Amino acid sequence: MNVLASGGFWAFVGVVAGIYTILALGLQVQFGFAGLLNFGQVGFMAIGAYTMAILVVKEGWSTWLAAPLGIAAAATGGLLVGLPALRLRADYFAIVTIAFSEIVRYVATNETALTGGSQGTIALGPIGTATQYNGQWSRLQTHVQHSLGFSSSDATMLVIVWAVAVVLLTVTWLVLRTPWGRVLRAIRDDEDAAESLGKNVFAYKLQALALGAALAGVAGLFYAWEFSFFSPDDFQPLLTFFAWMILLLGGLGRVWAVPVGALVFGFIFAGTRFLDFAPFTWFGSDERAYLRLIIIGLIIVLLVMLRPQGLLGNRREMVLE
Amino acid sequence: MLLEVDGVVRTFGAVRAVDGATLSVEDHSITGLIGPNGAGKSTLFATIAGSLRPDSGRIVFAGRRIDRRPAHRVASLGVVRTYQAARVLTRMSVLDNLLVATTHHPGERLTTLATRPRAARAHEERTRARAHEHLALVGLDGHAGAYAGTLSGGQRKLLDLARVLMLEPSLVLLDEPMAGVAPALRVELLDHILALRRDRGITFLIVEHDLDFVMRAADSVVVMNEGRVLTAGTPDEVRTNEDVVDAYLGKAH
Repeated sequence: MNVLASGGFWAFVGVVAGIYTILALGLQVQFGFAGLLNFGQVGFMAIGAYTMAILVVKEGWSTWLAAPLGIAAAATGGLLVGLPALRLRADYFAIVTIAFSEIVRYVATNETALTGGSQGTIALGPIGTATQYNGQWSRLQTHVQHSLGFSSSDATMLVIVWAVAVVLLTVTWLVLRTPWGRVLRAIRDDEDAAESLGKNVFAYKLQALALGAALAGVAGLFYAWEFSFFSPDDFQPLLTFFAWMILLLGGLGRVWAVPVGALVFGFIFAGTRFLDFAPFTWFGSDERAYLRLIIIGLIIVLLVMLRPQGLLGNRREMVLE
Repeated sequence: MLLEVDGVVRTFGAVRAVDGATLSVEDHSITGLIGPNGAGKSTLFATIAGSLRPDSGRIVFAGRRIDRRPAHRVASLGVVRTYQAARVLTRMSVLDNLLVATTHHPGERLTTLATRPRAARAHEERTRARAHEHLALVGLDGHAGAYAGTLSGGQRKLLDLARVLMLEPSLVLLDEPMAGVAPALRVELLDHILALRRDRGITFLIVEHDLDFVMRAADSVVVMNEGRVLTAGTPDEVRTNEDVVDAYLGKAH
């Protein structure tokens, strides 16, 4: 059967789009509303995933305690980066964030005793025992599957991830509509002006950074549960830039543009996976993998040229000075 | 005295932008701060407003030292500045520009937003009513929903002024309020400043290159040159002071 016609495949694409939605929502809070150029979002995602997995496997904690701690650890990571780095100019801050996410990845690769090293979470336990961190999660998923009467676990995961994504989108949307969110937008527009209006710009930026990092932590949890195994290589900087593409595709400063961008990105990414017709069949499979990235790049360049404000963004806002 | 600046020094590398400036601003006065380009006026402004820290010297406002406080704390104490080019929040509506200009808003803190939602809503309603009053005051009520980035230069100055007033300041620092403003609006802006001093007792310290405006509006004028205060006095005293003429025209006139 053609994979593109398989329900399971598209359910998987939908799950990944949901995880990316949560990851990119964090960036939307940080950049779309507070103007923070965070190029290290994947680092917070890794902290969330690893904290949960380590607490469950090594400490034997309940998943339902380890998961919120994973989110808290990601948010704390945001605070730790922000405290020294938010005083820097925007471009230097961007460099610090990307360096931070690479440090997280290198630590995860080299601190074998803590993280399982480059072998990933399979090596979290003692040598010779393959360990799993998602036992409790799988039981919950099975329970939900039976309650919903679904036959596929992919479809169940799809429903769970998007239910959580919609709740997080709604809460974020509501919070950003408050006077607190208004101050963030003021800082994005002109932080000196905001400061001279009596706003503690540093404190607000720190909060936005931590909130966005916490959302990345949530994305990390779902990433871990979806794949039931992960390694430091899963948290390459490329993932951060996928989240940025989603943000640009959807549109800046609009919460509901994030899922739209994630779905469009997910379908472009998945749809270019099987270029098994002419003229693509003229190339070998290695070359085709690169060709796919070139095609994704071209599609995104075209979209940004035709709609620089993103699919749901406001073009007028872009030209105001 | 509402504001006392005492021996303030601020250097940038080898440049002593402000080099021991001392001046005072009387309560309810309009004080003009003039001087040639590079005299240190803008730097002194930034140190009073808290966006720059002085290397040495003291700045006392209403009996409290403010020279070690960050800008947002100085602003919430009632010392509010404007910038040469009005720094309106271009991608926000004119109304939102005013709504941001409020202090102690429980809705602006995540903790109080969650614990005291009613207080936040009540404060928001009061702020909204005040914002509409201030828009009407400067004649921008027809533009409440427009992006501030669509306003003209003069309208931005009026919006900036309205935004400053929202904070109920006791001392307003105006940085070249007349720069880039059409002549018709200049008269309006001057009237606003005089009325605000009269009706609300607001004190103004104004950096301005338009000497005609300074001499008409100010009760006292402070002249800066090369980072120091050259002289201070009434507009008439300053106008006839030979040092001032030298500073502006060069010694060999």
